[in-house]
Amino acid sequence: MNIIFSIIREDTFWKILLFVHFLLAVSLLAAVTLQAVAVLMPARQMAGNFIDRSPVPAASYAALIAVVYVLQALMGAWIYIKYRTYVRIPMEQLRHFWTVGSFELKEHVVTMGMGLLPAYWYFWRQPLSAEHDGVRRWVTVFLALSVWYAFLVGHVANDFRGVGS
Amino acid sequence: MTQTLDVGEGFSRLDSSPATGAPTSTQTRAKSGTFAITFGIAFALLYTVYERLNWPLFTYHPVLGNLDFWRQPAGVGPPMFWYGWIVLAAVSAFVVACIATLIPGQWLRRATVFCCALAAFWPAALTGLRIFIVDWATFDADFLNSVWVAAIPAFVGTAVVTYYVPARLAERVWTSWLLIVPIGGLVVLGYSLLQPWFLR
Repeated sequence: MNIIFSIIREDTFWKILLFVHFLLAVSLLAAVTLQAVAVLMPARQMAGNFIDRSPVPAASYAALIAVVYVLQALMGAWIYIKYRTYVRIPMEQLRHFWTVGSFELKEHVVTMGMGLLPAYWYFWRQPLSAEHDGVRRWVTVFLALSVWYAFLVGHVANDFRGVGS
Repeated sequence: MTQTLDVGEGFSRLDSSPATGAPTSTQTRAKSGTFAITFGIAFALLYTVYERLNWPLFTYHPVLGNLDFWRQPAGVGPPMFWYGWIVLAAVSAFVVACIATLIPGQWLRRATVFCCALAAFWPAALTGLRIFIVDWATFDADFLNSVWVAAIPAFVGTAVVTYYVPARLAERVWTSWLLIVPIGGLVVLGYSLLQPWFLR
């Protein structure tokens, strides 16, 4: 870390990390939202054994979502060190208790989502099993909601003390 | 997009035990399914338990950059337990999921019902005992305010529920635990944040 800080200022380094965290969040948000919408759309019965599922190939980017989710969680865990000392303490001093509480819940929400990733990956493996249609749908929706919640709460925390605040 | 759905591949295949010879791709897939689903359930359950009991595998001190084994008090700056809870829950859930791939499917479904019911009954029994001590007891019942006393009705209740739950129901709801446990865990964890942050 000292080598990095000899090249760029410490706060600039953390702001770059936060910006990368934001870019990953937007990518993940887009992918998981599209997939959640795809699984929630009603399937239309077509001719023969084919079922028209959705206009987006939901299964094809399940692995990508799992990988980005893990990367994003690792990135968040790294930035969390700075948050804990540099952001949360003044947040408490200025009595922004709802923001602190929402961020605490975000940690748990993201963790629960991470625990579901192996099952999520399994349910989206080809060929898709009709037996797991329901659980696949709701696990995907759970992940989408967790990413949305994390994004919104992270955005509020960033507005308190982060990039551009 | 059009795709064929593999209707024939039933959930019961997760249970199928190998016949003879080398494991086929179906058996490998069934085992990976058992592993992934059990990991998801166990991770959510154990993470909630470890967070509530505050059992981190290690404590990180961000100001000093130190990592100490198990739970450590605040030194210079705040201690961070979150990493410790996650790692401990992940390691424990990994072990549980590995064991799950070795035991018969029926046992696994029963064990899942048992663990999930126990996770609900134990804190409920403790809360019930505390309400009894404060509002109902006409004698000094403080000795009842113990997790180990609460464990007795919790284990009895869990054993009864597990015994009476039909095997077919246990099998049918098994994957549903994947959503019930994390949502239940988040309710518990969210409730624990009410007093310190949201109702402050």
